[in-house]
Amino acid sequence: MQETLRVLVVDDEEGMREGMRRVLERNSYQVDLAEDGEEAIKLLKANPYDLALIDLKMPGIDGFEVTRYIKETLGRQTVIVIVSALATVEAAMEVTRQGAFDFLVKPFLPKDLKQVVQRAVSQRRLILEREKYLTELASERNLSSQLINSMHEGVVVLNINREPVLMNPKAESFLSVRYQPWLTLKELALSEEIQKNIDGILDSESPRDEATIRWEQVGERMLEIRVNPYLRDGENAGVIVILDDVTRQWQAEQDKTRFISMVAHELKSPIAAIINYINIILTGMFDGQADKIHEMMERSKIRGEALLDLIRDLLFLNQSEAGKVEKSIERLDLKAVLRDQLEFFQAQADRSGITLTLEAREAEYPVRMDRKDLDRITMNLISNGIKYNRNGGSLSLIMRQDDESVAVEARDTGIGMSAEEMKGLFAEFYRIKNPHTSGIPGTGLGLATVKRIIGEYNGSIRVDSRLGEGSTFTVILPRA
Amino acid sequence: MKKILIIDDDPDLQEGQKVFLEARGYEVLTAGGAAEGLEILRRFTPNLILVDLMMEHYDAGFVFCAKVRDNPELAEVPIIMQTAARDKLGFTPDSYDEKARSWMKADRILTKPVPLEDLLNTIEQYLAE
Repeated sequence: MQETLRVLVVDDEEGMREGMRRVLERNSYQVDLAEDGEEAIKLLKANPYDLALIDLKMPGIDGFEVTRYIKETLGRQTVIVIVSALATVEAAMEVTRQGAFDFLVKPFLPKDLKQVVQRAVSQRRLILEREKYLTELASERNLSSQLINSMHEGVVVLNINREPVLMNPKAESFLSVRYQPWLTLKELALSEEIQKNIDGILDSESPRDEATIRWEQVGERMLEIRVNPYLRDGENAGVIVILDDVTRQWQAEQDKTRFISMVAHELKSPIAAIINYINIILTGMFDGQADKIHEMMERSKIRGEALLDLIRDLLFLNQSEAGKVEKSIERLDLKAVLRDQLEFFQAQADRSGITLTLEAREAEYPVRMDRKDLDRITMNLISNGIKYNRNGGSLSLIMRQDDESVAVEARDTGIGMSAEEMKGLFAEFYRIKNPHTSGIPGTGLGLATVKRIIGEYNGSIRVDSRLGEGSTFTVILPRA
Repeated sequence: MKKILIIDDDPDLQEGQKVFLEARGYEVLTAGGAAEGLEILRRFTPNLILVDLMMEHYDAGFVFCAKVRDNPELAEVPIIMQTAARDKLGFTPDSYDEKARSWMKADRILTKPVPLEDLLNTIEQYLAE
């Protein structure tokens, strides 16, 4: 520490004051003088002194009181040396109790003064260093507590006695517990497995810096709970528990598992039907009846083809979900696309005597889309309108547009749906199962895929339907 | 002639098993769902019921069984359940013990596709009891 230390000399004898000043200034201290207690207090209020040499016996405010004032009222770390002729053990003990550091007995030689001051100065340096360290520590603590409190993971720190000693707000919210100093581990209501992990760490003879990780449902959330040893100098000092909200990942995994089991079921059903037919034929029980065998072969073929359709749809779904399908966005006329599609489906409609009409007053209905996506949407609308229609019915496509959007309504006169049946209409593998639909082939992915594609273009699809009367699907797309 | 009711939402499985069992000398009625099956049971009392699990709902077969068992006249009719959905949905026919039977209400669960001989053997076994 190179800066000049400031010293206050308080003594009612002028000769004493001046003598001490000379010695101290010669030793490069900055010195202020006070001739009584009152002046000393004035100076003490105004300046931070590193050192104070205080005469004990003064008129008015004496040395004891000045010492008490520095220590108690100002709460300063000024190092105090009492200078007095009252060389009694009692007096020495009393000033030490008051917070004085040393005692210099009058009369003294300059070298005595120098010695005492040197001791006091090294004491002062120690104090300054400690203060600096404490300040650093405090700001470090402040920083880490801010860090911990702003984390999106929950943090709970347990000491060696398994008592929670720190909990951030996230942990409080995840575990629905308020932190308080006498909180117990039990009140955190962690599972038995987690408690075992905690015990495993704290009871271990040779603690290793390895975490255990578990997923557990806590309330509405799925939490990833990591239990880490808290090591200090290689010794167990406690446990740090980190809680991470993984509800969304968990739900995605659940959805995926459900989807896969549904796919498995949908793939198995047609194969089961085909194998069943083959097995019947193989029994030879219908060997004399070619028409029966032919019928079973025909059905097997239809189911086989439907299975291929399903696999194609699944592959498409997988590719587009993985973003592998390259889109080439272009300006397309929805009217022209619909006209082409209606032409393509005409033969199929004719077989069931269904009339197809397109009602579009304006010259064009422009959209900006990938041609394959638009084809998929329109094919699905028209194909459903034919498949779920009645013989001799009709499918009308009615177009309209405004500045912002282009809409097409596909109105059929088919079997319709009940409100209950419509609920899951756009969900994957949803197929309405009733006597009317049982012969109609479908993958259960059509509308789900269409809805997803429309969503990618910020469009929408809606259905209105009445059981036995027909359904109307309305697709709205942004206008180009 | 012994009577069998087949309930399956897959028209081909329904039809295939129907022609097979008819050729083996059974009288067979079919239904495409649990609701239709219950409807048929009002006027037709079979000696045995074959029912699919996933129809209108993923557990339509179980609901159907429970409803059949609630009817005292049908309580003793053996029910054989057929399903393509297995452990993935939480149902494991392999672990089909007494306890499971008490809530599943079916006498047997077979995994689709059921080999015809197995189906016939199972049917004959229950009809002989």
